[in-house]
Amino acid sequence: MIRNIQAAIPLAAMAFTLALQPSVNAQDSKAKTLETGTFHGKVHSTSGRATIYREQNGKLILRLTNFKTSNGPDVHVVLIAAKDAADDANFLKGNTERVELGSLKGNEGDQNYEIPSGTDLSKYQTVSIYCERFNANFGAAPLEKF
Amino acid sequence: MTVQTGTWLARKKWILIAVGVPVLVAAWWAFRPEKLWINQKVNEPAPFASTTDAQPLYTGRLEGKAHQTSGRATIYKSSDGREYLRLTDFTTSNGPDVHVILARSDDKDLDQEIVKDNLDSVELGALKGNQGDQNYDLPATADPTKYSAVVIYCERFHAIFGLAKLEPF
Repeated sequence: MIRNIQAAIPLAAMAFTLALQPSVNAQDSKAKTLETGTFHGKVHSTSGRATIYREQNGKLILRLTNFKTSNGPDVHVVLIAAKDAADDANFLKGNTERVELGSLKGNEGDQNYEIPSGTDLSKYQTVSIYCERFNANFGAAPLEKF
Repeated sequence: MTVQTGTWLARKKWILIAVGVPVLVAAWWAFRPEKLWINQKVNEPAPFASTTDAQPLYTGRLEGKAHQTSGRATIYKSSDGREYLRLTDFTTSNGPDVHVILARSDDKDLDQEIVKDNLDSVELGALKGNQGDQNYDLPATADPTKYSAVVIYCERFHAIFGLAKLEPF
């Protein structure tokens, strides 16, 4: 009887840890999709998807997929404090607040950009492919909650 | 006479070159016209390992038609290859015999609130709840490239409560 109980204790412990495992795994969350939107752009035809992810370490990443725009001089990726940038308003207003994410890495293909920590995504709601030299908006993607 | 014209032309030429070349260089630098023909392709991987997670394939926002409807509809492919539709932040009005269906997004029937004839569609099941996150398995026959609109559809009255046109994620 005692021997049986002694044998049962490690078994019970094993069963207990096995039972715990799934809940531990469930906490192991990966990058979370926060917002997404599709590009539109008439003057310089721009298409694709912009998605903002939050990595496990809290870092915000903008990822462009199926992306295509025209090549140009001094083109940057920016977040702008607007709901959207209209197609016919090719040029951004000078007072439009923006967060610089870096030079456009390529005019075609999937690419990632780090968003500076502390950026308020509820304020900066649109991704713009922005030509600094001519203050031109190649294309814009209004973001919505995923 | 010919000599005079020659010197005038020669002098003018140097002025033209002295002014014209920097102007051309500046214009080239500013506009970089050759970039119209040169593409710069990149292909960065996603910034995180997510191969074991379900991958979103298509997504779109739900918009209300006959009844106020909002939220997001996303088609995922799970790691075992199964495809399913997931509604998030979802709200619509409750109603009788409401179903989730896929329809052709270019179908003229979707322009109206009430469908007159038979809607070309794929049935995903009865609406599980009029609020909240929910999943629906896609039958193997459902091709989201063909049926790319998610419709919240009241079978009894042929009413389109709301719909989402899906775009590639």
